[in-house]
Amino acid sequence: MPGRAGCLPGPTEHSAKLFERFSTSCGSRVAVATTPAQDVDLDTPNPNALPAPDATPATVSAGAMIVCHGVTKRFDPNVLALDNISFQIDKGEFVFIVGASGSGKSTLVRLLLKEMEPTRGTIIVGGRDIGRLRPSRVSQLRRNIGCVFQDFKLLPNRSAAENVAYALNVQGESAQNIRRKVPEVLSMVGLVDKMDSLPNQLSGGEQQRVSIARAFVNHPPLLVCDEPTGNLDPDTSVGIMQVLYSINRTGTTILMVTHDREMVDKMRRRVIALEEGKISRDERRGGYSSQ
Amino acid sequence: MTRFRLLVSEALHSIRANLSTTVAAMMTVFIGMFLLGICIALGSWMVSWSSHTKKEIVVNVYFCAQDTCDNGPATNKQKAQTLVRINQISAQGLIKKFKYISKEEAWSNMKRTDPELTAGLTANPLPDAYKITPTRGEDAGKIATQLRSPSLPPGVQDVRYNKKVSERVLKVAKVIEISFALMVLILLAASTALIANTIRLSIFSRRREIEVMKLVGATNWFVRLPFMLEGLICGFGGAVLAVILLSITKVVAMPALHLDFNAGSDVHAWPFALTSMLMVLTGLVLGAIGTGITLRRFLKV
Repeated sequence: MPGRAGCLPGPTEHSAKLFERFSTSCGSRVAVATTPAQDVDLDTPNPNALPAPDATPATVSAGAMIVCHGVTKRFDPNVLALDNISFQIDKGEFVFIVGASGSGKSTLVRLLLKEMEPTRGTIIVGGRDIGRLRPSRVSQLRRNIGCVFQDFKLLPNRSAAENVAYALNVQGESAQNIRRKVPEVLSMVGLVDKMDSLPNQLSGGEQQRVSIARAFVNHPPLLVCDEPTGNLDPDTSVGIMQVLYSINRTGTTILMVTHDREMVDKMRRRVIALEEGKISRDERRGGYSSQ
Repeated sequence: MTRFRLLVSEALHSIRANLSTTVAAMMTVFIGMFLLGICIALGSWMVSWSSHTKKEIVVNVYFCAQDTCDNGPATNKQKAQTLVRINQISAQGLIKKFKYISKEEAWSNMKRTDPELTAGLTANPLPDAYKITPTRGEDAGKIATQLRSPSLPPGVQDVRYNKKVSERVLKVAKVIEISFALMVLILLAASTALIANTIRLSIFSRRREIEVMKLVGATNWFVRLPFMLEGLICGFGGAVLAVILLSITKVVAMPALHLDFNAGSDVHAWPFALTSMLMVLTGLVLGAIGTGITLRRFLKV
């Protein structure tokens, strides 16, 4: 596997080492919450920040990144994708969303990205009720949520570096900053020597790294991953997870939808399980299935 | 400035990446604009010709000569009375201009235009006359009727206008004008549909790309502008090609086919520069608007 992250242990080393290290630095919610993360504070006026929150409910604590309250999504009169779910994810958390196909995981992701609207309920991201976000501000919201998908969603005729640069271009970043930030983030994911490769010249794992680099290059406070390892073999998946952990360590909240039972069981992170549109389980240090 | 450079580079990027659809769109514009150019050139020439022909319709008021009326030739008093009647009609705005033509003047005109006919004549058979040019060719009949009613003015032998010819000319002119307008309309509608279709194909092949752009936080305009610029470039390129082909047609093909459009000194198609400008402008507008409209449904991500 070429292009391995230099700063991170490779998958050939035993993955337990990674988990061990991870659990010492971000083993608990408290530990994460104390991670200094001025980059990710949504309230500071920086270009990456969301617009100032307006009248958030008093029940939302200051440390919350995502608050879903009574969220229901109905597609047809007969298809209920999400049924009155409520949960809160704090800043700096690493949360797995698990569940069978059709349990509403992807619907949740699409609601968070405001690709569609919930039938009922409120979703607050970074202190802002996204249901009340004007359509013209949706692009602002998305710049603050990095997203990683199972199918990578890279622009096929652009090199790795250009793909990452695109995310900076869309928000009017200067060429100088782009030249600085792109190699930085690509070396973080271990692809500094593949900057000029097109997506079809990269392996699946490498493409996913490019996609993570693109999602993280803005240092968004929240990273949403929809089955990022779904198309990858276990070894490659471990590499991807390492990258995600190191991103989480910078204080970025990570919400990861996954089917990867082994990964979830080893990690023992917070697990929210969905079953037929309802939350069946929300454990601080859960496994893929309830014990 | 940086934004603009980025915009242009994005547009060029997507043109390079989708060369075949770009070429297809450009060719569509090219064909559409070439036809439009021909349509404008021929149409405007025909409209000009028909209005020229309409201008040639005149109403003649012939005064009595020695042997044409029982009461002998028209007196100066009778001629003055006729002038009053013509002035009355002129006051209604029907008459553009009128002119008294004496029999001598008419004779010398005829000698000039038809020397063979006058050569066989020993004396001048032509009467004195008023030559009335209507404001609109269509009014010739009305003027003649008004002059004839309730009866011909004293001293006037006849009021004549070339009824059959002028009615046919007017009918043809109307048909030409309407069909020219229709042709341009149909052509514009057809080429808009064609271009929109071609662009839709090109955008459809890139809908995933648009989805990704939206997901990393691109605003609708950020996605739309490069596509629209691409549409503009296609429209401009196609129109310029059409102008080139049209000027080749004008310079090379028309003389070779011995097509002669010299029907009269004041019959002209629109100037070539104007036609070309119109073609390029239409190409640009079609390209930009076609892209903009087609993009709308792909931006709802």
